[in-house]
Amino acid sequence: MNLDFQQFIPSLPYILKGIGVTLQIVSMAGILGFVLGIILSFFKISKFKFLGWIADAYTSVFRGTPLVLQLMLIYYGSPQLIGYKIDPSTAAVLSFGLNSAAYISEIIRAGILAVDKGQSEAAMALGVPYRPAMMDIILPQAMKNILPALMNEFITLTKESAIVTVIGVTDVMRRAYIVGGEKFSYFEPILIAGLIYYIMVMVLTVLGKGIERRMRRSD
Amino acid sequence: MIKVENLHKHFGKLEVLKGISTNIQDGEVVAVIGPSGSGKSTFLRCINLLELPTDGRIMINGQDITDKSTNIMKVRQNVGMVFQHFHLFPHKTALQNLTYAPMKVKGLSKSEAEKTGLELLEKVGLSAKAHEYPNRLSGGQKQRVAIARALAMQPEVMLFDEPTSALDPEMVKEVLDVMKNLAHTGMTMAIVTHEMGFAREVADRVLFLDGGVLVEDSSPEEFFSNPKSERARDFLQKMI
Repeated sequence: MNLDFQQFIPSLPYILKGIGVTLQIVSMAGILGFVLGIILSFFKISKFKFLGWIADAYTSVFRGTPLVLQLMLIYYGSPQLIGYKIDPSTAAVLSFGLNSAAYISEIIRAGILAVDKGQSEAAMALGVPYRPAMMDIILPQAMKNILPALMNEFITLTKESAIVTVIGVTDVMRRAYIVGGEKFSYFEPILIAGLIYYIMVMVLTVLGKGIERRMRRSD
Repeated sequence: MIKVENLHKHFGKLEVLKGISTNIQDGEVVAVIGPSGSGKSTFLRCINLLELPTDGRIMINGQDITDKSTNIMKVRQNVGMVFQHFHLFPHKTALQNLTYAPMKVKGLSKSEAEKTGLELLEKVGLSAKAHEYPNRLSGGQKQRVAIARALAMQPEVMLFDEPTSALDPEMVKEVLDVMKNLAHTGMTMAIVTHEMGFAREVADRVLFLDGGVLVEDSSPEEFFSNPKSERARDFLQKMI
């Protein structure tokens, strides 16, 4: 095995610039997925059965088809759907956000249902209406319990974001691939990309642990 | 005054309350006693509409709370509830547990709510624990905070659903003492309890429920020394 990283040193800044692209897509998709996931989870526990059906159908479709297919569907389908081609990174944010909303809604739903029923009864008995009781009493407790699962979802999102390569977004993966093509040697740049993803995931893990520690203050 | 008229509650096919009628006067302390499954907790939970009655009426100070147009939230603000398992908010300190509802529901400012909150904690002997999270409190302390939390809404009626049943024996007294003090202040109280000694000493009246029926409604002296019904005699015998 003869690895030659030397020749890739000039290309390193170019690959590293992809971190910004990846982070931007992942963070925006993460926010979209989280917000939409909360809304969908409320649908799922709603007493209006109709809302539950919508949310279940949504989850079923986005969980039941490949992410890369959803990405291509949104990107290549946009001219027919809305009349013009959307930006590849917008397509990436949309598809990743919509996709992880399906998973996050399941995580949050389970988290809400796992909070002791006595908590909402205690809030009700004090005359606190449903919405503030949900926001101030139930959700914070649910969040604490589901944080590891949520972190997992964001980590998956970070890694899976590499598939934006197929629609030409110049993220870390794509840049490594381009550099490999220039030098007719893919092994080293892809190893470098792998290291970059690994470090990003490690940072996320440490961040998650930190948040978890803060939330466990009351234990 | 609380007026209960022909209260029925079904859970599906199961009839838990089979037409209960009674009155609770202002300032009266009523102990609700009965074997498990007799419907005493359900009876209590109907009074603040944690369970919606299937049939019958409940009037609090002349207002029919079972009426469809009644604002349930307003009713509950006026009727405090203490649970067997405390149900303190674990992510809030003792003081925050007390100030949350008054601030959120009644719109009190933080300083106002904290002032009354601290006074109440003082009353239940827990000023020192104001900034502790519930996990750091013993069972008895948790229940005293829970009582203070309910009182923070300044209710006219307090409901207690087996407040000492989940406590270690040595912590029962501290909670009962708080309740006794509360009774002396003239609070209207309905207490589901298995503490016969406490019921006898503190209650003005005893309601004995069995199988969803109000079997006896009498003074504690009468109930404990000379129960009218066979079922009450049987029950009391098993308690001692």
